[in-house]
Amino acid sequence: MKTLSLRNLGKTYFDPYAGAHVTAVHDVSLDVEPGEFISVVGPSGCGKTTILNMIAGFIPYSKGDILLDGKPVHGPGPERGVVFQSFALFPWKTVLDNVGFGPKMRGVPKAERDRIAREYLALAGLSHAAHRYPNELSGGMQQRVGVVRALANNPDVLLMDEPFASVDAQTRMTLQEELTRIWQERKPTVIFITHDVAEAVFLANRVVVLSKGRVLDEIAVDLPRPRVWDDLVRDDHFKQLSARVLQMVRAA
Amino acid sequence: MQVTGSLKGRSSRLIRSVNSLVGAAMFVAPLLALLAIWAIVVPLFNVNPRVFPSVGAVGAAALDSIRDGTLFAHVGASLLRVGLGTLIGIATAVPLGIAMGVSPTVAAFLTPLFRFFSVLAGIAWIPIATLWFGYGFGAIVFVIFNAVFFVVAYNTLLGVRTIPHTLRNAAASLGAGRWALLTEVLLPGALPNIVTGIRTGLGFAWRGLIAAEMIATNVGLGYMLFVARDFYRTEVIVFGMIVIGVLWLLIDRLLLVPLERATIERWGMVRRA
Repeated sequence: MKTLSLRNLGKTYFDPYAGAHVTAVHDVSLDVEPGEFISVVGPSGCGKTTILNMIAGFIPYSKGDILLDGKPVHGPGPERGVVFQSFALFPWKTVLDNVGFGPKMRGVPKAERDRIAREYLALAGLSHAAHRYPNELSGGMQQRVGVVRALANNPDVLLMDEPFASVDAQTRMTLQEELTRIWQERKPTVIFITHDVAEAVFLANRVVVLSKGRVLDEIAVDLPRPRVWDDLVRDDHFKQLSARVLQMVRAA
Repeated sequence: MQVTGSLKGRSSRLIRSVNSLVGAAMFVAPLLALLAIWAIVVPLFNVNPRVFPSVGAVGAAALDSIRDGTLFAHVGASLLRVGLGTLIGIATAVPLGIAMGVSPTVAAFLTPLFRFFSVLAGIAWIPIATLWFGYGFGAIVFVIFNAVFFVVAYNTLLGVRTIPHTLRNAAASLGAGRWALLTEVLLPGALPNIVTGIRTGLGFAWRGLIAAEMIATNVGLGYMLFVARDFYRTEVIVFGMIVIGVLWLLIDRLLLVPLERATIERWGMVRRA
């Protein structure tokens, strides 16, 4: 496991519509410890998705550094797994082959990567869907595949970009509970982007609040695990933490 | 959930097979009506066989050409040319289309050329093709290739451009290099469009083939029509026309439509679009 560090990270780009340079991320520094689950919240336009895209290597950064175990990262790579808001499953591959894609890229033989994929599908309760195509699954099931596809590649960091934003409210709560359960079993390092304060607090060990391209503040979440909504909706400490984060986001 | 799924699958399969039977009947009915009118009108008005043949004469011409093997020689020659020209067309057009889809520079540079040559594609190339390849096989294969090439390249470009960019990002973040991106994402992602392009291109190619064979060869379906004209053999001409139409329908329905369906419907490309 490796530490991820953002050092004075910044992103400025030319907006052809505005005809001017726009700074999406001013100056963000953040250290993420191995096995930590961090939620990043903030209002639209605070730069949270830009930061995630820079860590993922999808867009270059303008200043500062992104270090993984002390080494700078440039471009996408398998040590940084990504879960997309739009799922981004390959429609021409079965669920099994979607999940086995990362191992395939590492040159893992077919039988072994099928075994890995099945193990991760079982983890998400998807064993029965192994031979389905993504378009045959509901949105919630598709995103379960998206999560285990990223996990099956054993990334050092799992980057999640509002992954549950496009599923219905009930499914979202189930997915959140499953994610905390999987996190407890596997302890991956997670950076989770969301604008949903309750979601951020429910999932994370630490919530980072962003505002206008800067880190406004951060809060440690010391709620016990396993976390389930039935308990937490009535939990005073959860309510207090959520209220504090909400205040910060609204002041942002 | 699986039970309802398979039940739904079975009943929809039943509905689909009933639908396809009805569809086939509705497709054949007007053709039969035409045949009936033909069988009545020609003897009724005592039409000169040099103008239009009777049904019987065409049937006899069909039997003759099957018996003496000339039909198979013509059909075989035509299919070989179409097959080879199409294969060469696909093999060259798909890589170029992908290059255009990936690189905006390549696309911008080649697009005007494509506009120009896609208008020219087809029989306008026959005269110069015969100068390059001589009368016969080479010239005709070139014309077929030409008809297929531009349509398939353009559709491949379109296919690559319709692949959501997040899919490329997903592949890259799962460790895919350039080659894997090509074989695992770009090619399969563009495949439905490529197949559509092949179907359209083959339609052009089939028309071009007949025209080219009238001019540039001594065997093939187009040649069969053209020679029959010299001897006022209208029954051979009409039989040849029927063969040309039926062959295309068979190629389209038995080969191209199932191929299109297999790629497009299975991956939900249609439903998603």
